[in-house]
Amino acid sequence: MLNQSMPDQAMPAGEDAALQVRNLDFFYGDFKGLSNVNLDIAHKKVTAFIGPSGCGKSTLLRTFNRMYDLYPGQRAEGQILFHGKNLLDKGQDVNLVRAKIGMVFQKPTPFPMTIYENIAFGVRLYERMSKSAMDDRVEWALKKAALWGEVKDKLQQSGLSLSGGQQQRLCIARAVAVKPEIVLLDEPTSALDPISTAKIEELINELKSDYTIAIVTHNMQQAARISDYTAFMYLGELVEFNETATIFMRPEKKQTEDYITGRFG
Amino acid sequence: MMSLYTRRIWINRIGITLSMLAMSLGLIALLWILWTLFSKGFAALSWDLFTQDTPAPGSEGGGLRNAIVGSGLILLFSMLISTPIGILAGIYLAEFGRVSKFASFTRFMTDIMLSAPSIVIGLFVYALFVATTGGFSGWAGSLALALIAIPVVVRTTENMLKLVPTSLREAAFAVGAPRWQVSLKVTLRAVKSGVVTGVLLAMARITGETAPLLFTALNNQFFSTNMAEPMGNLPVVIFQFALSPYDNWVNLAWGGALLIAFLVLAVNIAVRVVFRNKDKR
Amino acid sequence: MSEPSVTAGIDLHARQVRKFRLQDRFFHHSTQLFAFVVLATLVGILASLTIEAWPSLKEFGPSFLWTNIWSVPDDEYGALAAIYGTVVTSVLALLIAVPISFGIALFLTETCPVWLRRPLGTAIELLAGIPSIVYGIWGLFVFAPLFAEYIQPPLQEWLGDVPVIGSWFSGPPIGVGILTASIVLSLMVIPFIASVMRDVFETVPHVLKESAYGMGCTTWEVVRSVVLPYTRVGVIGGIMLGLGRALGETMAVTFVIGNANRINGSLFAPGTSIASTLANEFGEADPGLHIASLFALGLVLFIITFVVLAISRWLISRSLGSEGL
Repeated sequence: MLNQSMPDQAMPAGEDAALQVRNLDFFYGDFKGLSNVNLDIAHKKVTAFIGPSGCGKSTLLRTFNRMYDLYPGQRAEGQILFHGKNLLDKGQDVNLVRAKIGMVFQKPTPFPMTIYENIAFGVRLYERMSKSAMDDRVEWALKKAALWGEVKDKLQQSGLSLSGGQQQRLCIARAVAVKPEIVLLDEPTSALDPISTAKIEELINELKSDYTIAIVTHNMQQAARISDYTAFMYLGELVEFNETATIFMRPEKKQTEDYITGRFG
Repeated sequence: MMSLYTRRIWINRIGITLSMLAMSLGLIALLWILWTLFSKGFAALSWDLFTQDTPAPGSEGGGLRNAIVGSGLILLFSMLISTPIGILAGIYLAEFGRVSKFASFTRFMTDIMLSAPSIVIGLFVYALFVATTGGFSGWAGSLALALIAIPVVVRTTENMLKLVPTSLREAAFAVGAPRWQVSLKVTLRAVKSGVVTGVLLAMARITGETAPLLFTALNNQFFSTNMAEPMGNLPVVIFQFALSPYDNWVNLAWGGALLIAFLVLAVNIAVRVVFRNKDKR
Repeated sequence: MSEPSVTAGIDLHARQVRKFRLQDRFFHHSTQLFAFVVLATLVGILASLTIEAWPSLKEFGPSFLWTNIWSVPDDEYGALAAIYGTVVTSVLALLIAVPISFGIALFLTETCPVWLRRPLGTAIELLAGIPSIVYGIWGLFVFAPLFAEYIQPPLQEWLGDVPVIGSWFSGPPIGVGILTASIVLSLMVIPFIASVMRDVFETVPHVLKESAYGMGCTTWEVVRSVVLPYTRVGVIGGIMLGLGRALGETMAVTFVIGNANRINGSLFAPGTSIASTLANEFGEADPGLHIASLFALGLVLFIITFVVLAISRWLISRSLGSEGL
């Protein structure tokens, strides 16, 4: 039923795609969580995933860095092409994938170490550098996350001592610090107050000049505000995928329109 | 109808009263034992207890210095053995144990070892170590106590690690960290205080253990810090002195019992208070 | 701070990734090795006790278990008296401890004001923390004399003439003996049984209890008809855990059981248990049959407690829904 519009679904295709998802199925044991998803994540753009809870948007995001690998019984079939290679291949090293595709979670997850170490931890995994280079990198990442001004005098304090919004920006800094190509954001503002949320949204806007961003959000206005492309998902299927303006102004599908106008039943 | 109702009310009252009686009985037992310990133990408490060695049979004075130092050394080394083993085994169960049959089997056996008779551990170490190396020694005592402490450390470590939010673990994996770094540098560090608690509780558990020391560390009436020789220790001294006909020895046994009980209860209470504050935060 | 080129990055990463993979494999196997220590201890205990007990097992055969003789001068050994003492003290201890533990668990989960739950629960847990040697010396010096003076004589007067039961309370009231050991043991196992019971009582869904209360049930009726049936498996597991503890307890029993290696029908009479025989005799045992027989006793004790504890853990883990076997 979706096959008809499949070529459209895969837009924006071609060279510009950071990730190309092809015929992706996902299983939780016997339960099929995603079926036949096809889309391209555009290079250095923000792609938002919306849909009612349980629609598979988080599941989809978690296939991009193979987070599901941690759980026995969960598996993905199909292709996710990254630089021409299938991320889902058995031979693909997951740590390498994750170093190139960073992720920020729903709740802030600072590591139980100092603010400085929170950033340096990930960097140290794949790069060997001098103390001063590391200092520079930490400063750079914190500036990218618009947190530098607030924490520059307390880098040696625990990451847990920050407020919720600051913790989330620390997590973004941590993801950015390893210089990934893609940053995945899984409902990054759902646990935050409106002011912190506004700061994070602003930040996402700035980050997209350097990174490809995929964000799952339960908040349609947020998707409309910050994303270039929006994917609407329902019951494990990709219902509609297009430029954000199109999705919100002239959705093709009835389901999408119902969801966006709040008439979802 | 009314009489049936009254009957039910009365049965309920009796049941509740009995349960309160049971509770009071438990509390009375605790207070009674503590009271005895403090009243008899304090009488024996003096500087000599810490500065003098155990006296000869029938003589006056003396203290428990050799036993206190011996117990300290034996405990120290048993914790040095059991802490790393227990924590690493606990990490294994938490990290790899969700799916592996071997891990669930190990977990089950660890639970059994938690309550296994400690005197049998003493026999085991005697057969394995004392009989083969030709003598009782502080090392043998440490080994026996370590074997008792390991299951405690394993299980508390595992339980603590299981409390780490999945999102923190995932976040660590998400920066591309290998499993060992996720485990040791992130999750273990996140539950550091819980693991320390487990280690302290394990120490409290073995501080009063007497049975496994009887055939391993034995006893030594002289001051010694040589772990390769029989070593004085509080529990065995209390055991010997309490059953002796000498008032002075019995007195010292009470002093020793107070020291041990105080240490054990202090650790138990401290751990709970600290944890309670953690919960509140 | 310029962006590193992607290809150079990948190259460096590939080397690092290979290193990580090796490290992770090492990590997996080394932690597994440490987990193996616990299993090795268990197997080691069984093996070493069997080896050391072998001379005795060969000499006396299975009749070791039901022979009532323990004579060092004649070098003849049978475990019956020790097994009898172990089983009787443990069972008696449970008869005392189970109703009290049930009462405590009921009180802590149903009737206790919330602000008191934590301190009272802690107090009961502290009972479990007191070292057994403290129970022993308290039992010997404080409890036994009071027991001999104020409880044993009235018991004898009251029940002494009843047929059969009377014989259980015959003999001189000397304080130490099987019954005293059982009482001290019961105090020691109460906290274990009570906390398991409390934990499983708390697993009962609130809806279930509320619907019973909603029908007008009293607290007692709710516990009897809803909580207990719902938690039966876990409660039995808790009792078995207490039994396992009681069977293997050494110091408290050694102090107050009287250490007489014979079977006497009276509960006032001194007796012995496997653990207290080991504690008393092992240090001075002669090599040969004596020490081998003591190892055989230890083997018997280990096997009994292992079976009891295995059943207990299996039941408890089933009841609490945690991972067991």
